[in-house]
Amino acid sequence: MDVSGELSIRGLTVDYGGAGGVRALQALDLEVEPGSFHAILGPSGCGKSTLIKVLAGLIPRTAGEARLPGDGSVAYVPQGNSCFPWLRAEENVAYGLKLRGVGRRERAERARDLLKSLGLEQFSRAFPGQLSEGMRQRVAIARAFAVEAPLLLMDEPLSALDFQTKIAVQAELVDLWRDRRCTVLYVTHDIDEALTLADRVSVLSARPGRVALTAEVPFARPRHQAGLREQPGYAAAFRKLYEAIEG
Amino acid sequence: MSAPMRVLRAIAIGLILPVALVLLWQVASSREWINSLFYPAPWDVMQRTWDQASGGKLPHDARVTTGRLLAGFAFGAAPGLAVGLAAGVSRTIRQLLYPLATALYVVPRIAMLPLVLVAFGLNDEARVFMVAFSVFFIVFFSALSGVEQVDRIFVDAARAFGAGKVRLAATVLLPASAPAVFAGLRVAMGFALIVIVGTEFLAANDGLGARIWLSYQIFDFPSMYAGIIAVTALGVLLAWALLAVEWLAVPWRR
Repeated sequence: MDVSGELSIRGLTVDYGGAGGVRALQALDLEVEPGSFHAILGPSGCGKSTLIKVLAGLIPRTAGEARLPGDGSVAYVPQGNSCFPWLRAEENVAYGLKLRGVGRRERAERARDLLKSLGLEQFSRAFPGQLSEGMRQRVAIARAFAVEAPLLLMDEPLSALDFQTKIAVQAELVDLWRDRRCTVLYVTHDIDEALTLADRVSVLSARPGRVALTAEVPFARPRHQAGLREQPGYAAAFRKLYEAIEG
Repeated sequence: MSAPMRVLRAIAIGLILPVALVLLWQVASSREWINSLFYPAPWDVMQRTWDQASGGKLPHDARVTTGRLLAGFAFGAAPGLAVGLAAGVSRTIRQLLYPLATALYVVPRIAMLPLVLVAFGLNDEARVFMVAFSVFFIVFFSALSGVEQVDRIFVDAARAFGAGKVRLAATVLLPASAPAVFAGLRVAMGFALIVIVGTEFLAANDGLGARIWLSYQIFDFPSMYAGIIAVTALGVLLAWALLAVEWLAVPWRR
């Protein structure tokens, strides 16, 4: 997989509903280093999901440009329960591979490997309806990693999980990312989650969204959200992001 | 109480009223509280049903009716599904078809029979068309609304992985709308049975509908009831068959 090249967004503007509609993003600039984990924070309604959807090719942009890393292909984990209910766990994971024309045997192998690394090998034949919320999100994450795209777009993938499950999936997610070194753009509303997962965090302003602040996360890996508050410098890092979100 | 006992108890309670009604009917008919010419006792009806079933008449008519019904169901459901899915995907197709389909949907099916007989003649094509015509619109609208109700998140997930229109329809819209389509098929099967029996009343010499109607006209009421029982049994069997197909085709809803 070619992960070279950075994600570079210049002057990205997105309007909903044509002229006289709502401006969701206003001349947004963002640089994301190749292979880095970049979190996007921001007040509710600031256009975080819009940014992700534009990059995923789901919403047209009004102006500006975005250069994507590698071959320009992306993988996407939408906000909410996005596993296809009619496909078994392994078929869900293999979905993107099937669209890309990967053969049956290789699909099954890669799906099994991913499910195994997420502790779901016993549930590969289960339908999403038979899985817990945490398992379903693991399947959605595995589905995104399976295609080995150079850019992984994640829209609050863990926001519906209880704290314990969230901590566990965070660790698995970071392991998968470190193995593959793809670039991750990760939207969250949770400052602690951003500080746990990301190399850098960008805060979007209230609508129309633009980047108000980009900050390095000063903590060494491995990190753990439950122990984050004992890290020296946590309070300052948290306050800086919080104040940027508040505007 | 153990689980099997609870099930047996529920079945027993459910049987109380039907059994009581049949017994009441038997007593009322044999004691001539009601006119046994029009309302023959259940025992006589059972005997007649058995005679006609073993004599081959009833199986012949059941085969004829089933053949017409299934042919009409297939000719209505397959295009109904295809066109309904297409209308769900394409706004242009939807705008083209929706007004006409809505208008034709409300026409009482049996009111079409004279026109259909003029067009096809008094033959099986006409009878099959009557069924297909009613099934088509029910399946069309259920497929259309099935597609319209597909959760946006599945469409977004598939498109982000690079699914174009055809792949999106095949891998997301079709399976996601399957439960709505099967709900429509169940309703359509009920309609198909009503329409084929009504059509056979008026425009057939064989088939269960014709048997019921002819028996009524010659005052052979036990045979009429035998026909009604056969039609009911056919309806139950077809409903079960459809449930079995759904069970196989929509495994994630089990």
